[in-house]
Amino acid sequence: MKNFNQEDLDRLTKLCRIACNEEEKKTLFEKLGKVLKFMEQLEEIDTTGIKECDHVLETISNVMREDVVGELLPRELFLENAPSHVGGMIRVPPVIKSNN
Amino acid sequence: MTDIRYEQWEPVIGLEIHIQLNTNSKLFAPSPNRFGDEPNTNISEVCTGQPGSLPVLNKEAVKKAVQFGCAVGARVAHFSKFDRKSYFYPDSPRNFQITQFDKPIVIGGTIACDVDGAIKHFQINRAHLEDDAGMLKHFTNFAGVDYNRAGVPLIEVVSEPCMHAPKEAVAYAMAVKAIAEYLDISDCNMEEGSLRIDANVSVRLKGEKELRTKVEIKNMNSFHNMEMAIEAEIRRQCRAYTLKEEIKKGTYRFDIDKKETILMREKEDADDYRYFPEPDLVPIVLTEAYIEEIKKSLPELPEERFKRYVTELHLPAYSANQLVIDKALCNFFEESLKICPNAKSLCNWLTVEFAGKLKDTDKTLTDFGGNIARLVNLIDNGTITGRIAKDVADEMILHPDKNPEQIVAENPDYRPMHDTSDIEPIIDQVLLENPASIADFRAGKTKAFGFLVGQVMKHSRGKASPSVVNDLLAKKLQ
Amino acid sequence: MHDTSAHELADRFKKGELSAVQIVEACLKRIALHEPKIGAFLKVLNERALRKAEELDKKRKGGKPLGKLAGVPVALKDNMHIKGEITSCGSKFLSNYKAPFDATVTRLLEEEDAILIGKTNMDEFAMGSSTENSAYHITKNPWDLKCTPGGSSGGAGAAVAAGFCPIALGSDTGGSIRQPASFCGVIGFKPTYGRVSRYGLVAFASSLDQIGPLTTNVQDATLVMEILGKHCEKDSTSLNLPWKPHKEDKKKLRIGVPKKFLEDLPDETRENFEDALKIFGAQVVDVDLDILKASIAIYYILSSAEASTNLARFDGVRYGMRSARATTLEEVYDFSKQEGFGPEVKQRILLGTYVLSSGYQDAYYKKAQRVRTLVIEQFRKAFEICDLVAMPTTPSPTFPLGSIADPVQMYLQDIYTICVNIAGLPAISVPSGFSKEKKPFGLQLIGPLLKDAEVLHAAHLFEQKANLKLSPQL
Repeated sequence: MKNFNQEDLDRLTKLCRIACNEEEKKTLFEKLGKVLKFMEQLEEIDTTGIKECDHVLETISNVMREDVVGELLPRELFLENAPSHVGGMIRVPPVIKSNN
Repeated sequence: MTDIRYEQWEPVIGLEIHIQLNTNSKLFAPSPNRFGDEPNTNISEVCTGQPGSLPVLNKEAVKKAVQFGCAVGARVAHFSKFDRKSYFYPDSPRNFQITQFDKPIVIGGTIACDVDGAIKHFQINRAHLEDDAGMLKHFTNFAGVDYNRAGVPLIEVVSEPCMHAPKEAVAYAMAVKAIAEYLDISDCNMEEGSLRIDANVSVRLKGEKELRTKVEIKNMNSFHNMEMAIEAEIRRQCRAYTLKEEIKKGTYRFDIDKKETILMREKEDADDYRYFPEPDLVPIVLTEAYIEEIKKSLPELPEERFKRYVTELHLPAYSANQLVIDKALCNFFEESLKICPNAKSLCNWLTVEFAGKLKDTDKTLTDFGGNIARLVNLIDNGTITGRIAKDVADEMILHPDKNPEQIVAENPDYRPMHDTSDIEPIIDQVLLENPASIADFRAGKTKAFGFLVGQVMKHSRGKASPSVVNDLLAKKLQ
Repeated sequence: MHDTSAHELADRFKKGELSAVQIVEACLKRIALHEPKIGAFLKVLNERALRKAEELDKKRKGGKPLGKLAGVPVALKDNMHIKGEITSCGSKFLSNYKAPFDATVTRLLEEEDAILIGKTNMDEFAMGSSTENSAYHITKNPWDLKCTPGGSSGGAGAAVAAGFCPIALGSDTGGSIRQPASFCGVIGFKPTYGRVSRYGLVAFASSLDQIGPLTTNVQDATLVMEILGKHCEKDSTSLNLPWKPHKEDKKKLRIGVPKKFLEDLPDETRENFEDALKIFGAQVVDVDLDILKASIAIYYILSSAEASTNLARFDGVRYGMRSARATTLEEVYDFSKQEGFGPEVKQRILLGTYVLSSGYQDAYYKKAQRVRTLVIEQFRKAFEICDLVAMPTTPSPTFPLGSIADPVQMYLQDIYTICVNIAGLPAISVPSGFSKEKKPFGLQLIGPLLKDAEVLHAAHLFEQKANLKLSPQL
C-alpha cells in the first residue's frame, strides 16, 4: 500500500466528478490520508489461498424473472423530479466530447 | 513525396459487435424492449437509475446468450457473473453499466465465413451480456436524453484481432449477423441500432510479431461504410508510420464525404472503469444439461445451410453464400423450393434476375409469394422459354397480384412455339438471309450455329422453343 | 399512550378501546410538544397519518378484516421510499426528490394497516454514527439532549425513545440500527442479509444494507419482522424463504463471548456487559473472533467502494439538485456534487473510488473481500460451539454532540457492530442498563445466518429477565 499523495486526490476528484476548492481539498487530503493509513493493518493478515467473498449468501444463484412486460414509470412522474427537461427529454448543456 | 508501400504492412483488425436482443422486456427491468417510442415513455425506475431501484435479470436474455454461444461453437460458462463498469455520461442512468468483466457467459467460438470465394475461420474471444445506455440527442444549445433504450439487453461479441483485411471484417460481421438472425435473437437492424459494430484497427510490418497501437472506429452504420472506414484507417496508419509519425490511441469516426477517418477523442491513459462484482445481482450457474438442451434445439444455422446448398443442392459457393447470408432472402428461397425443386435456376431468378429488376422499385421479393417459383416451373416444364420468362417477370413486377400462369394465358405472345411447322419457315428465312454464317459453320466455326439460333429466336420474338430450333437447324445444316 | 407497545395499541384498536384517530392525535400532540428539542423527524406526515387513521376507523366500524399493525404509527428513516413523499436521505442533494414508487417495506406495512407517521432524520446517505452528518439538523438523544442519538438511524432511535411512535424502521449497514438503539435505550434489530427487501431503500452499500425495526420491546420487533421478512421479486438478493418463527426447544442456550476481542473494553462497559450476562444466566463459552479487529478496515473499504458507485447516479442530471452555477455538462456533475454532498459523503466516495481504482483494487478492495471470507469463516466456527455470540453493542454509551472530529475515532464507534454486516448475520441490541451518567447501555446478541427468530427469542428472554422499564424524562 503506497502513500496517498496530492496527485492521487486530483485524479480521484476527476474520476468521481466532484469539484473541490482549495480548502475542501486540504481537509479531504488530511482525512483520507488518515483513513488510508488505518487500512494498512489489512496487509498483516495472511489471506493466501482465501477466496474473495462476492456474496454473503453464497448459495444463491440464478435469480431471474420471466420475460414479461410489467409496470412502467409514467413520464410525468419521471420528469417531475427532473432539474430540466424539454420535449419529454432530460435537458443537459450541449455535449461536445463523445464517450462510449 | 514519400512513397507509401502499403504491401509492406499487415492490417490487424478486431471487431466488437453489440447485438440488441429481441426479448419482450429489458435486461434488468420489466419495461418493454421496443424501438421508436416517444422519449421517456418506455421506462421504469430501474432504467432511469432511480435511487432505491434494483436490477432483476431477464431469463430469456440469458437463454439467447447461451443460444449464441452454442451456435458459434463456444464454451458456455457454467459460472458467470455481472460487474459494474463506472463512467460518467448522461445516457447512463446510474453512471455505471452492468456488464460482465472477468466471468463472461460465452468464451471463445468460431465464425466461418466466405471471403471472396474462400471459406475462412475467425476466432471469437468472448461474448457477454450487458445493458444498453439511453440515447443522447444533440441540439444547438443543449442536449436531450431519452432513456427508452436504457436497459435493453445486449450481447457484446468480441473477436480476436485476427482479421487482416477490410473484406474479412465485413464477412465476419455479416456472418455474425446471419447467425443472430437465424437464431432469432435479434432484429439485427443496423439503421435502428440493434446491431452496432466498433472496429479496432492497427497495422504492423509483415512478419512483425508484436501488435502496435490500435485505434477504435465507431458509428459505422452499414457494412459498406465499415469496409471503407477500415480501409481508410489502414491507409492513414500506413502513411503515418511511413512518415515516422506516431499512432496514438483514440476513437475515430468515418467521414463519408471525405472518405477519411476523423478523430473524435483521444483515449486518456486507459479509462479506469473500476470493474467490480455487481452486489445487487447473484451469479448465473448453468448446468451441462441445460446447455445441451439449448444446443439440441438450435435451428439450422448459416454454416450448415451453406454446406447443404453446396453439397446437396449443388449451388455454386458464391450463390449459396449470397442466399445464406441474408436470412430473409434465404427463408424465401426455402419456401420457394417447396414449390420448385430446381434450386440452381430458382437461385438465379431470385438473386440475379428479380433482384436486378426490383432494384429501383419499392417492391421486394416477398411481394411475389410463390409466383417466382411457379415461373421457374413454367420454364422447366416447357410452357415458356427462358427468354419469354424475362418478359413475364416484367409483367409480374407491374402486377404482383397476378400469377405467371395467368400472365402467360392472357398474352398469346408469351405462349411458346413448339410446332415444327411454325418454326421451320422461320428457320428457312434465317438461313436464306445469312449465307455467310452457313459458310462459317460449315468451315467449322461453331459460334455461327449459335448466331443462327439467336436469329431464329429474334424472328420468333423469343417464342420458339430452343430445343426444337436446335434440332431443326442442325438437321437443315447437315 | 406513548408508553404503550405497538402490539398492545393494535389490540386496543381492534377491540375498539381506542380509535385510530385518537392514537394518531396523541402521537402528533406529543411530537408537537417535544420534537422541537429532539429533532427526530425530517418530515411529520400529519395529514397523511390522520387520513389513514380515519380510513382505518371506518374500516373497523364496517367490520372489515384488519391488518396486524392496524392503528399503529410507524416512522420510516428518510432513505426509504413512500411514493409521492420526499426521500431526502438526510442530504441537500435530494431535498426536492419525490419518491416515484413505494419501497417494498412501505407496501408491506400499509398492507397490514400501519399508519406512516413521519420520515426520520439520519446521517447523510446513511454515512455516519451520530446523525451529525445530516444536512438538515442535529437530532438529540432523549436521554441527554447534549448527546447524540447515534447514527445513522439516529432519528428513528430518538423517535422511539421519546415515545413519538412505538415503531420506527431504520437501515443498518455497519450498525446503524443497533448503535442508535443502544444509545437511545431501545430495541434495534438487524435481520440476516436478504431477509428484508431492499427495494425502495436508497442504497449505501448493497452487500451490507438491511432494513430493520427499532421498538420499545422485543415482541413488537418480532411482529414487524413477521411482516417484513418476506421474499421480494424486485430484489435479486432477497431470500426466497418464508419467515421461520422460533421453535421452542429445551436445550440450554450457549452464549459465545470473544474475550480476547473484547479485552480493550472500558471498565464501565465491561461491568455492564458482565452483569447482563449474569442476568441472562446462560452458559458462557469463549470464542475466537480475533479477526474482527480488522472489521473496520474491511468495512470502510467495501462500503465506500459500493457507495462510490451507488451514489454516482446523483449527478444533477435526472433528479435532485442541479447546481445553478453549472453551464457545461462537466460543471453539472462537478458543481452539483460539490454543493449537494456533505464532507463525509465526499470523503467516502473518494475513498471508495480509490480502493477500486486501477492499481489499487488488489491491495484494497480484493484484499478486504478475502478478509471478509475469513470473518465469515471465524463466525461459522464460533457457532459450532455456541448458539449466539454476545458483545456490548458499543464500546461506550452516547457521547456529546460535536465531540468526535477524527474520522477514525468516529469509525471505531462501530467496532462491535460492523462485523455482523460483513458476515450478513442477524443481530439485536437490547437495553442492558445505564451508566453512571444515566446513559443507556446495549447488549448485542448475534446469531448464525437465518436464525433471526432465535436471536429475537433470546433477546426476549433477556428482556424479561432484565426487566428494565425505560422512558426518558422529556
